[in-house]
Amino acid sequence: MKTKKDVQPGTLALMVLKTLDVLGPLHGYGIARRIEQISGAKLFVNQGTLYPVLLRLEQEGAVDSDWGPSENNRRARFYRLTRTGHKLLETERRDWEQTAAIIARFFEVKAEDLA
Amino acid sequence: MRALKRFFVRMQNFVMSRGGDERLREEMAWHVEAQTEELVRAGVSAEEAHRQARLRFGAAEAVREQYHAEEGLPFAENVLQDTRFALRQLGNSPGFTFIALLILALGIGANTAIFSLVNAVLIRKLPVVDPKMLVRLGDQNDCCVGYGVHDNGDYSVFSTAAWQQLRENAPEFEELAAMQSGFESQPITVRHGGAQQSAHPAIGEFVSGNYFRMFGLSPAIGRLFSDADNGEGASPTAVMSYQAWKNSYAGDPAVVGSTIYVNSRPVTVIGVAPEGFFGDRLSSTPPDLYLPIASAPALANASYEHDPAANWLYLIGRLKPGVLLPPLQVKLSAELRQILAPVRTFSNEPDRSRLPKVHIVLTPGGAGIRSMNEQYSLELHLLIAISGLVLLIACANVANLLLVRGMGRRAELSVRTALGATHSRLVRQLLTESLIVAMLGGLAGIAVAYGGTRILLAMAFPNARGLPIPASPSPVVLIFAIALSVVTGTLFGVAPALMAARTDPIDALRNGARSVAGGATLLQRGLVVTQTALSLVLLVAAGLFLQSLNRLQKVNLNLDASNRYIVHIDPQAAGYLPSQLGSLYRSIEQRFDAIPGVAHVGVSTYTPMELWNDSWTVQVQGRPDLQANASYVRINPDYFASVGTRLLFGRGIGPQDTPTSTAVAVVNQAFLRKFLKPGENPIGEHFGAGPSHAGDYEIVGVVDNTVYTTVQHKDHPMYFLSLLQRPATDKGPIDEDYDLYARTIVLETGRPITNLESLTRRTLASINPNLAVLKFESFDRQISDQFGDDRTIAELTTFFGALALLLAMTGLYGVTAYSVSRRTNEIGIRMALGAERLHVVKMVVRGAFTQLLFGILIGLTCAVLCVRFVQAILYEVKGVDLTVMLAAILPLMLGATIAALVPALRAASIDPMRALRVE
Repeated sequence: MKTKKDVQPGTLALMVLKTLDVLGPLHGYGIARRIEQISGAKLFVNQGTLYPVLLRLEQEGAVDSDWGPSENNRRARFYRLTRTGHKLLETERRDWEQTAAIIARFFEVKAEDLA
Repeated sequence: MRALKRFFVRMQNFVMSRGGDERLREEMAWHVEAQTEELVRAGVSAEEAHRQARLRFGAAEAVREQYHAEEGLPFAENVLQDTRFALRQLGNSPGFTFIALLILALGIGANTAIFSLVNAVLIRKLPVVDPKMLVRLGDQNDCCVGYGVHDNGDYSVFSTAAWQQLRENAPEFEELAAMQSGFESQPITVRHGGAQQSAHPAIGEFVSGNYFRMFGLSPAIGRLFSDADNGEGASPTAVMSYQAWKNSYAGDPAVVGSTIYVNSRPVTVIGVAPEGFFGDRLSSTPPDLYLPIASAPALANASYEHDPAANWLYLIGRLKPGVLLPPLQVKLSAELRQILAPVRTFSNEPDRSRLPKVHIVLTPGGAGIRSMNEQYSLELHLLIAISGLVLLIACANVANLLLVRGMGRRAELSVRTALGATHSRLVRQLLTESLIVAMLGGLAGIAVAYGGTRILLAMAFPNARGLPIPASPSPVVLIFAIALSVVTGTLFGVAPALMAARTDPIDALRNGARSVAGGATLLQRGLVVTQTALSLVLLVAAGLFLQSLNRLQKVNLNLDASNRYIVHIDPQAAGYLPSQLGSLYRSIEQRFDAIPGVAHVGVSTYTPMELWNDSWTVQVQGRPDLQANASYVRINPDYFASVGTRLLFGRGIGPQDTPTSTAVAVVNQAFLRKFLKPGENPIGEHFGAGPSHAGDYEIVGVVDNTVYTTVQHKDHPMYFLSLLQRPATDKGPIDEDYDLYARTIVLETGRPITNLESLTRRTLASINPNLAVLKFESFDRQISDQFGDDRTIAELTTFFGALALLLAMTGLYGVTAYSVSRRTNEIGIRMALGAERLHVVKMVVRGAFTQLLFGILIGLTCAVLCVRFVQAILYEVKGVDLTVMLAAILPLMLGATIAALVPALRAASIDPMRALRVE
């Protein structure tokens, strides 16, 4: 039976940052829906787990938040990326690509290459 | 960086107890609402949409908790919560709390008090600039003025000339300063201003001109010495200590530039040393005045200042950065050999052969001259060990109390486990509780330490003036006390916490009261055995020291001290020349005789049981040279009567023994035994110092042995000379014969006279205002001063022994009482089945005494093995004898009997019916 994949630790924050980077200021629900959309049905996220991550990012200064009117004209909390957040996203992205590249190389390697 | 920022935000949240609860709730509510709306738009029914939205959001409570954990500092919150809970718990059992705090306050307080002494004496550096760079030349504490060489050639005291040459040839030092080695035993007199003021005793130290510069000090006011102050022919100057300035001059800045009279010679005060500076060594009598070395001959008749063979200075230098010590030590030793080669010390055998061995050992100088430090090192280490043992006993005791408490709280802990508390959380909570007890105990301990340090200092240095050891705890001491509390809390807390938290919820909830096995655990019994053993070690130690003190005091001194007083004076400091002493002594005799109530007035160079000794070789005329020494005292005719020495036969020194009549001597019995044959008539025999002087003195009488110097000196051969008689062979000018100066006046009164001290001061001042009373003491006091250190040690060990005994017995009582209460049920059944009361008592007491016996066995073995560590400070006590053993075991037995009988009787009075009903 094929199961949905759990989010790897630390990657949720990266997803949040990238979402905010692409879409601009967004409320928690919007972020959650976007992550679900992009990852398709492959990822299992409890939408609620997003909020501790957002708080953490805010404490680190990567995002900023404020109340604002939502699409249905209700009060919602909007999050946006700060300068620190952009920088953080950049370094995290590079780290991630590097890690991915290294792992990829391990998968590509064949026995005769090592001889 | 980010982590730090985040930590600050969390910290802020934690401190302000700011919660984002409201915000989170609103966000969550809106989130679920938005999701629901979206689902409804997609065609799901309202109810179903709401359900799905909540499902997708996940467990709201978990999110909230996680959010909260991210927000503040959960660990700190736990600690706070535990602390609040622990304080509440402690408040709930005031009895336990009080006893535990009391035990800990005593244990931690005693250790802290002793640590503040240890810190001051063994650890602390001098309060000077960069003490790490200071190096002392020498490793011995030879004192005062020496002319000889150690067999191994080790040099620690130097002549003025040696210092000057070493200083010139050692560019490795920024400064190499010199200081008088023996200032403590040579008090000076100081008179302020005009003639109407009388002189008073003070402590002065001769130091080099670069002394203060070497230490890197700046003056409180005025200026400190420069090299010019120590130049030949410079007018005498002085630097005053801060303490003397505050005490004698109330901090009056006008003192700078004023003239004072040091040993009757005018000296200009040029400045005051900085606050807190107590000289180059720890001393119970730190210097009041610092004087230049070059003024020593003029101010203190110190002719040895010019003598290249007289070693009287300690040297401390400040190293330049980067200088290595081993090559410097080799270089300085070589230089010293060169300097000393022409000195007369090395002109004769056997000293000539020692020249190649002459060397200097460099030692760290940051703590200055460590004479006092080394003198008290053994005693202090002993005290550390003893107070450490007491603290261990206290720990064991509190651990036991906690164990008992832990058992009582089984049910509570089980319930909490059942409700989901983790094992580690419970342990943490219990540990918090013991740490809080320890910290509170530590706080109380600091108060105990403050009082304790004062008592300790008063006990250890009864004659101190301005002792540079503060009783109030310094930061280092406070840190020590807190660290000690934490260590203590962990030490006694861990085992009980682990044991108590290891509960099986089912087991405990199932009502464990009906257990028969019960009783105290092995750990508890082990703790009691340990306590008993440790306290026995302390009791044996106390017994040994008391025995030693007892033997010291039992030594027959042959002295009757009642109504006798000793006055110390210094006629030389008052400006008298030896040729003027005859009239001075006559005035003293006449003026004191005229005081109503004074029966006898003795004048002598020194008196029994004071740390002074003049001795010389003795050769009896016409007998073989025994190469042996005897001590001598110069006395006036009334001396024997005043000090209470019995004349056995012949006559004493009389008024007829004038400087012009035949030189006579009175000898003691030990002298006869040493130098003459038994049964020989000594009267009329002659003796003197060495073969060429053998006819110097004629023996005219024999007196009883009395003890001079120290108890260890009993039965020492002695002879007594007339104060002013000089032997015919002594042809030197009288004014260079410093041997004629008396240092003591002995007053015997028929009855106690209350104001004798002020009468004495007035009488001496009326003879000459420069004649100061250096010390006025009853003879009793002078004798007991000699036992001061031994008494302090004996009293302290006895005190700690008693404390340990009390703690150990409380522990034994606690465990016995606890096991009785645990076994109420079982005992009830036994008695219902016909067990007799006596049998029950026996059973309980047997349990207690088994632990006691184990403790005694272990303790005695330890004590016997450890005696050798203290052997050096015991007088005529070799090992643990039966008396000491019994004296230690008996109080332990007695205490244990009480500690065991009380719960045993309670057990025997159990009513079987009631016991069975106990749940």
